[in-house]
Amino acid sequence: MPELRLSGIVKTFGPARALDRAALSLRGGEVHALMGENGAGKSTLIRILAGLESADSGEVTLDGALLRLGSPDLAKTAGFQFLHQENHVVPALSVAENMHLSRPYPQRFGLVHWTKLRTAAVDALGQLGASHIDARSVMGSLGAGDQMLVRIAATLLDDGDAPWAYVMDEPTAALSGAEAERLFKAIAALKATGAAILYVSHRMDEVMRLADRITVLRDGAHVATRDRAATNRDKIIRDMTGRDMTDLFPRHTATSGPPALLVRDLRAGGLGPLSFAVAEGEILGVAGLSGSGREVLLRALIGAVTRAGDLQLRGVPLAANPAGAWAQGLAYVPPERRTEGVMPRRALAETIALPHLARLSRLGFVQRRKTAGLVRRLAQDVRLKASGPDQPIAELSGGNQQKVLFARALAGDPAILLLDEPTRGVDVGAKFDIYTLIRDLAARGTAVIVASSDLPELIGLSDRIAILNAGRISQILPADGLTEAALLTACYQKES
Amino acid sequence: MASFLRHYGSLIGMAAIVVFFWIALPDTFMTLRNWLNISQQLSMLIVVAVTMTVVMVMGDFDLSVGAMASLSGVVAAVLFAQGLPVPVALAVALAVGLLGGIANGVLVSLIGILPFVATLATMTMFSGAAFLVSGGKTIFGRDIPQEFADFARSGLPLGTWGGNLVVLPALTLVAAVVTLLVWIVLEHTIYGRRLYAIGGNADAARLAGVKVAQLRLSAFAFTGMGAALAGIMYASRVASANPVQGDGLMLTAIAAVFLGMTATRDGQPNVLATVAGVVTLGVMDNGLTQLQVDSYVRQVLVGAIILLAVSISALGRRAIRLR
Ligand SMILES: Nc1ncnc2c1ncn2[C@@H]1O[C@H](COP(=O)(O)OP(=O)(O)OP(=O)(O)O)[C@@H](O)[C@H]1O
Ligand SMILES: [Mg+2]
Repeated sequence: MPELRLSGIVKTFGPARALDRAALSLRGGEVHALMGENGAGKSTLIRILAGLESADSGEVTLDGALLRLGSPDLAKTAGFQFLHQENHVVPALSVAENMHLSRPYPQRFGLVHWTKLRTAAVDALGQLGASHIDARSVMGSLGAGDQMLVRIAATLLDDGDAPWAYVMDEPTAALSGAEAERLFKAIAALKATGAAILYVSHRMDEVMRLADRITVLRDGAHVATRDRAATNRDKIIRDMTGRDMTDLFPRHTATSGPPALLVRDLRAGGLGPLSFAVAEGEILGVAGLSGSGREVLLRALIGAVTRAGDLQLRGVPLAANPAGAWAQGLAYVPPERRTEGVMPRRALAETIALPHLARLSRLGFVQRRKTAGLVRRLAQDVRLKASGPDQPIAELSGGNQQKVLFARALAGDPAILLLDEPTRGVDVGAKFDIYTLIRDLAARGTAVIVASSDLPELIGLSDRIAILNAGRISQILPADGLTEAALLTACYQKES
Repeated sequence: MASFLRHYGSLIGMAAIVVFFWIALPDTFMTLRNWLNISQQLSMLIVVAVTMTVVMVMGDFDLSVGAMASLSGVVAAVLFAQGLPVPVALAVALAVGLLGGIANGVLVSLIGILPFVATLATMTMFSGAAFLVSGGKTIFGRDIPQEFADFARSGLPLGTWGGNLVVLPALTLVAAVVTLLVWIVLEHTIYGRRLYAIGGNADAARLAGVKVAQLRLSAFAFTGMGAALAGIMYASRVASANPVQGDGLMLTAIAAVFLGMTATRDGQPNVLATVAGVVTLGVMDNGLTQLQVDSYVRQVLVGAIILLAVSISALGRRAIRLR
């Protein structure tokens, strides 16, 4: 069995230390979970292994021999296959081509061998149990979950030299439970062939299920590597955060305010007709399998897609475009932070302030002091790890980018808070902070609608959960006492 | 050191160019008179480049500004020739710029044509219109009212220096006012910050409540007006108008914005950087002319220096890869 060892890895970005003597070992035939808070340095370590970033110092050996890294080609020769955290796809190309982006296209007579390209893609998708995805369809037409499955399948493509190590940085962050199950099966199959899997996730249950060993990083340093049998959830959290965490979900506070949002006969892109109401101070969860319309619902509410129907916010008709909706007091966290949320090269403060500029200015002039104050306060509330308000968002870790989007939605106590996968990629401790913030906001009268593929999150956070099935609400269940299994069953049931 | 160079390399380069001419032309280059002269020569370019920055902030650009400057110049001149009062003729010429800009904006933001294609087409149209309006001839002499031609020769007396009266040229003043205005709008108003957000990620901006289509449209209108104003300034300076006299402004203006971008910390367009870019190009032109460098050689040199600056900044930035 091959064994990879990284030791004493240091990586600095200007004054900031992303990795501070990080260490890791990875053996063939194991699933090794790499854990740590947002910004702990997991992705940076992986990017160094992939040759996308170079370490300031440190040593990497494969079976005792020094391994030269520094370019993606070298990493490939060393037998690594990567699935990076941020979603890099070419929306205009087909699924099959997207899967071949980082490898040579199959050729015949010096031309692309299209049939072979497609069959290779179909095979890999089948191996992942994702045959419902058409390899010929255009990548941009797929939902977030399916895009992720395509990217995972791309790592499984067989192009002759089988890799021995698969490195996956938060593969399940955008997946539903059923989709994740397919990934777990594929991982088990890889492991059985003697391959190693380095696995990053903030979902504790799947780590406890999959991992043979668990390495925890904190502030770029190696804290501990333990066998799964020798550790448990609380120990891992303590290693990660240095603090104890007991209850993840804050207590529900009974609420029955007047209705904040009334929706009648909403229709939008395959969704509806839907009718429901959300009360002030209520948290309404939205569950549904992929294709159930869950992806469209919040977009329709914020007015990002064309819609029909009668929507009223506290008795006033709701604007059908994002600008009008924000102005009326809606706030929205989009599901795809990279493409829909952040302005990667611009200062993080600008992304936070953007929807609130009208409130932060006088006579059209932006008031710098007021803006800076707001940004500072919100960054503290979500415990943002950044070097300062002017840091470009692209430099933040994935989870911290997500916190920026969440922070921005909190500003000024919105009337309605629309959250689509609000904790995607956020670490356990920070999730707790976010849940508490959502609860506090609800207690002050905000109505919250949260769509999530994370079932425990939905159950723990919501007061009621609306189940979407084929574009309709099949039932609305009280979340109290609901089990994951029951919720999942409900998702599969047609209208009762 | 590397990061210092990356951040300030362009500014140092610009300063080096000035120092070079200072040494090469000890008597004539670093004089107040020469600089006032340069500022007047550059005033039209500054207006075009600075208003071009407004669309470039969103990641768009406008190829039609040169043709629009020509068009507005001949429109004003033709109206003068018809005997219309100067203010009316100027208002109409500016309105042509506004309408042309709005047309660009509609094509780009409402219909969704790429700015390159849309403004390439309108550039051709504006240029054709300029020929139509002027009948293909230069309008000059008695057709141009004296007060209009005098404007470019007038200025704000600043005092005396070395026995000569020093005058800030009126065109320089106009360029300065436009620059200040656009700088304030882009850096300090909601409007400007939203344009920058669109440039950062248009989809994200829309979902965050920015009216992307309207803002894009209005920004093109802004640029069209700027081009028209520059065309009027040009006509005043040469006391005549012909259907191609503004055409050269477009490429130089875009080059100036790009040159300026190399001097900013984040590599994005910015009004003051644009002005620095214009001044660099203008200084090179002025200095090389004074050194009696052949005008074709001058073109090659200017192009090479733009490429050099942009390459250095691109190499410096390669390190900052997106994740
Ligand atoms: N290009 C960069 N410039 C400046 N700082 C950077 C850069 N890349 C990473 N960092 C910093 O390095 C630290 C580690 O980031 P990294 O992405 O490795 O975290 P992570 O453990 O993957 O977090 P997450 O769970 O949120 O994905 C962060 O504080 C981040 O801001
Ligand atoms: Mg990461």
